[in-house]
Amino acid sequence: MVGRPYDCLANPLGAVRFTFEKAVSSGSDPASFNRSDWGVADLFREFLFENDGLSQVPILTPSTVKWVQPNSLVRFRGMIQDMLGNEFYVGAYKSKDTWNTNKFTDVSQFPMGSSPDMCVWERRLIYCVPVPGQNLWADATSDGVANTFATSASREKRQRDACSVYDEVEMQDSNNEIQDSPSAKKMREGESLPSEDMNVGTDCGMVMVPEFDRNNFPCLVKIYDSPESDLKLNDVFEFIGVLTFDTDVKDDKNGEIQLENCFDQEELVNQPPSKVPRLHCLVHRKLSPSDLIVRAPTMEPKPHLIKEIRQSLLRHLSVVLGDDDLAANFLLLHLLSKVHLRVDSIAVGKLSLNLTGFDKSSISVFGNRINDAVKNLLPFSQCIPFTVDFLNTASLAPVKDYQTDRLVPGVLQCAEGSHFTIDETELQSGTLNSNGVENTRLLKDLMEFQKVEYDFKYYKMKMDADVQILILSEGKSNILPADIVIPFHPSSASPSGITDEQTLNAWRWYLAIARSLPHSIGADMQKVVEDDMVAARQVDRSLGTEDFNRWLTMGRLMGVSFGETCLSHEHWQMVKEMERLRKERLK
Amino acid sequence: MGTLAFSPRIAAETVGAMDVNFSQDKDLASDFLQNFVDANGEAKYMSILQDVANRKIKAIQIDIEDLFDYKDLDEEFVGRVTENTRRYVEIFADAIDELIPEPTEALQDDDHDILMTQRAEEGNENADGTDPRQRMPPEIKRFYEVYIRASAKGQPFTIREVRASNIGQLVKISGIVTRCSDVKPLMKVAVYTCEECGFEIYQEVTARVFMPLFECPSKRCNVNRAKGNLILQLRASKFLKFQEAKLQELSEHVPKGHIPRTMTVHFRGELTRKVSPGDVVELSGIFLPIPYTGFRAMRAGLVADTYLETMSISHFKKKYEDYELKGDEEEQIARLSEDGDIYNKLSRSLAPEIFGHEDIKKALLLLLVGAPHRKLKDGMKIRGDLHICLMGDPGVAKSQLLKHIVNVAPRGVYTTGKGSSGVGLTAAVQKDPVTNEMILEGGALVLADTGICAIDEFDKMDESDRTAIHEVMEQQTVSIAKAGITTSLNARTAVLAAANPAWGRYDLRRTPAENINLPPALLSRFDLLWLILDKADMDNDLEMARHVVYVHQNRESPALGFAPLEASVLRAYISAARKLSPAVPRELEEYIATAYSSIRQEEAKSNSPHSYTTVRTLLSILRISAALARLRFSESVGQSDVDEALRLMQMSKFSLYSDDRQRSGLDAISDIYSILRDEAARSNKMDVSYGQALNRISRMGYTEAQLKECLEEYAALNVWQIHPNTFDIRFIDA
Repeated sequence: MVGRPYDCLANPLGAVRFTFEKAVSSGSDPASFNRSDWGVADLFREFLFENDGLSQVPILTPSTVKWVQPNSLVRFRGMIQDMLGNEFYVGAYKSKDTWNTNKFTDVSQFPMGSSPDMCVWERRLIYCVPVPGQNLWADATSDGVANTFATSASREKRQRDACSVYDEVEMQDSNNEIQDSPSAKKMREGESLPSEDMNVGTDCGMVMVPEFDRNNFPCLVKIYDSPESDLKLNDVFEFIGVLTFDTDVKDDKNGEIQLENCFDQEELVNQPPSKVPRLHCLVHRKLSPSDLIVRAPTMEPKPHLIKEIRQSLLRHLSVVLGDDDLAANFLLLHLLSKVHLRVDSIAVGKLSLNLTGFDKSSISVFGNRINDAVKNLLPFSQCIPFTVDFLNTASLAPVKDYQTDRLVPGVLQCAEGSHFTIDETELQSGTLNSNGVENTRLLKDLMEFQKVEYDFKYYKMKMDADVQILILSEGKSNILPADIVIPFHPSSASPSGITDEQTLNAWRWYLAIARSLPHSIGADMQKVVEDDMVAARQVDRSLGTEDFNRWLTMGRLMGVSFGETCLSHEHWQMVKEMERLRKERLK
Repeated sequence: MGTLAFSPRIAAETVGAMDVNFSQDKDLASDFLQNFVDANGEAKYMSILQDVANRKIKAIQIDIEDLFDYKDLDEEFVGRVTENTRRYVEIFADAIDELIPEPTEALQDDDHDILMTQRAEEGNENADGTDPRQRMPPEIKRFYEVYIRASAKGQPFTIREVRASNIGQLVKISGIVTRCSDVKPLMKVAVYTCEECGFEIYQEVTARVFMPLFECPSKRCNVNRAKGNLILQLRASKFLKFQEAKLQELSEHVPKGHIPRTMTVHFRGELTRKVSPGDVVELSGIFLPIPYTGFRAMRAGLVADTYLETMSISHFKKKYEDYELKGDEEEQIARLSEDGDIYNKLSRSLAPEIFGHEDIKKALLLLLVGAPHRKLKDGMKIRGDLHICLMGDPGVAKSQLLKHIVNVAPRGVYTTGKGSSGVGLTAAVQKDPVTNEMILEGGALVLADTGICAIDEFDKMDESDRTAIHEVMEQQTVSIAKAGITTSLNARTAVLAAANPAWGRYDLRRTPAENINLPPALLSRFDLLWLILDKADMDNDLEMARHVVYVHQNRESPALGFAPLEASVLRAYISAARKLSPAVPRELEEYIATAYSSIRQEEAKSNSPHSYTTVRTLLSILRISAALARLRFSESVGQSDVDEALRLMQMSKFSLYSDDRQRSGLDAISDIYSILRDEAARSNKMDVSYGQALNRISRMGYTEAQLKECLEEYAALNVWQIHPNTFDIRFIDA
């Protein structure tokens, strides 16, 4: 494209104004623009996706935020953690006979008198955080993506150490952040820098964002126009928009007259941008797991290719699990599971796995190996240390804090498709307090219904979740009843081979693609399945709907693991065989 | 300055109402207030004004609905009022100022009046009338408050539905109050006196902050260049009570995957102290922006906060008695009640996703409906609430049924026998951690007063609760005598209990009494006791397998074969039914008495009685019959109701003792025949309808298949004729 009168990248607001003026001059009434777009989104979509502008847009990270210019185009990847409601602003106003717009900005370009020609529009505020438990390879923002695996050994280790304390850290962070507001903030802002330093550069940035790190880098996104149903809580999105900094922050140091305002909510919503960057969103897109793979192999999901990758991945899992093929098969199905449907209260498609038979020595070997394997394969994974102490102290469910009018995140607030590894071997006998009891109930609910209860104090709301849960325990976990319990029988502990990045990427791609495949059961298979079930129940009265559901889920997962969209006889037999072998082990 | 100066004016403008003539509208308002007559033919507002003049009330509420109904007003005026409500509150207040009548009763002058008289006297001498600040604002004279209340009709908005376009408008929203501030005084008119000239200066305050005056603006001071010092007179200024609160969306209004929104709400004057956190309320009010001032305006840039200036408050009442029918519900209920099959239709709509269990659902429907409470002349009360206990193997959807019933009931509490709180099921005396006083705290049963209390894991209940529950189930009170507090709390609740058999699973080798594991004294208090067993049955298994496969295949639940009624319709129907209190007609007394005595006799005959048929059983029959009559919207209990009640009781018994049913030597077919013969003889008729026959024989523990077989066999013998379509039976008398 030649001859653009504006630079989308460096001066997106110019583009906004240009299109606005064009729209007004072509005779549209600005008052009618309320809740509609005058061509801005299309313009940027074209620029980003058709003219390959996307790769030029810097991603907002703790490191880039130090040099990115305000009012320029940036993108931010994160999970929607809280929704702060609507904000009303003067969208368009007339000054000296020309219409101006304030869309996509916090401050007006020209001083506005109290002119009578003002249109009040609204925008939605969304509080985003980096996806909890995002693994390094899926983090497009991390600098060392290219050679993740080469250097992963040391990094992984660090991460693992961090992992156990991660939850507490996160809690503290969010607490800090909230406690920071009104009182602490005033203190800090009292000593904050004069605002003109704001744009100078890195030095200032360092001071400005001292506490940002990879796991604590929130962003306040302002959404225009798009329908409410587009953006849901806990969705992972990429937002592309205008980054703004207010330059009036210094006001606060005068110790603003505290109005006899009873609540200080406004303080929070309008948290000074020195703490939370704000993004005026022009374009947003939901990220699917395959979008997260950097340098994804652009392959057609051909059956033979899928089968090859499946074979090599299964071999890898088997090595990780010390040559326990059966467990590796179950683990593969487990990694492919996702809730694809909710009927009444049942979440269909979940497949939680409980590997039993760990003891102190084997957990130290295999526990870490399983964790590492999961980390390398799935974009979002977390380990939860299942100890009495943890249960008693951690806050798993998000809680609404009415003092600050914010949703305080809990460990269980996570993106769709997250993976939890729960290590029950560390559990010692002890007494659970009420918090601990509540936490176990939450975990159990999550496993059973794939729902998390968010505490809004006056009522609780169940939010849908889609989490794969892997439990490592000594005996069958009674606290967390998994769909599949299988005793783990490793036969060797040979070190798992080094895998190159390309193979890893292929596996990641395979898991992402296979998970999203549709699946159906043909009429003839239906008959076979039904008969098998009735026959099985005649033999064993203890079989219930959960078992039948599990079989069908396994059948489905088995099918998609071969890249097939229809349940075949062969795969159904494999599932039955796996169940038979598992039953034998349980004896 | 980048200040954002919102004002109601902008709101008026957005609707293009700049050319509205306000003084003309004031005349309209005044005309409305004088001439509006309500349905009873009374001048509603003039009588309110008289009460106001007599200082009996302070608030004048103008209903938008009345404006609609008033014939001399055009629709446009009503539109203008709802679009720019704050301005019109002023206009109505101005109109009322002129209309306010003289008090008809002698009033004690208070400080305010004395001040006003003084002002009136002084006003004549020294008001020079040129300075607006010296003119007394009408606000200071008013001793009443004007509210414009939104129409009660129509659905209230949810908080997220209130948009920018609603600014300045009268809206109605529902939500739950989450925070409330203290009530504080809000200055409405500031009054100053000048040290130099002694004039009173008035300043009207419209925003939350104002700039106090320091220099006397009066003409005299101006001319003299005295720069008179102004002193704020707190006694003379006018204050309003002011309270701020946060309203949050109700959980049922939040779309999936979203967070509840909140809104700031302001209460003024008489509306303060009407809500407390946790209340579910419906508010009507004006949606207004808060102008930022000073530094905040600069920092916040272009955004504005909004709030709702409350005009009226109504609390949601979660009781059947206060259930108001909405819109077309009345019509819907009328249509349903004409449908002959309403009993089945309603019961099937309870937990439609749970397969089967028709009779249990019927019983649960009757639990929801209940029978009227009776109070005898001597003060004795007879409960109308039905108690039901479900017992059964684990995993037969007992808990789901319980939870569903609690959801349908307008007031329901779900708890488990081992309730976690110290208060437990009944009530407890606890020490208040703050004041160290003993306080009485109600448990689940007390909280469920006039509702339903669903108790899961009834068998695992604490011993102390178990003793207390005896009282709750029959006397419907909870008595407490602890720590010097002796009292009795109301617990008029229907108990729906679910229990597991004694050894976790029902053991068929043991007797039912051993399995049930509850003391007979407690069991006899349940009107119906149901055992749900997970029996080995090929058909059931296939049905289950089909269901599971269907769910996986078609990504939805299989069609139910009928459209279940919505919970709201169910609730409306039940609340309408509960308004009736059917009586037992004299001619049925004999019938019920015979039925009761025959049950007693049967029990006496058998050597190992399974149940304890007592007077309680008789009361149960009456209660169930009355509930059935209510469902039919009938004022009197019919024989069909009693029959159905007996059938349900018998069915519930058979669910317990079906295995050791004793046959009186006859085979099933001939037994059925004799039952039908007796039935015909009893009613002195030659006809027995199929439904009646089925009812009878199922009470005796036979199945429909057996009945059909019997019908065919005896029809072949020409004992009776069977109607080809309805299967009604007609005896051929020899």
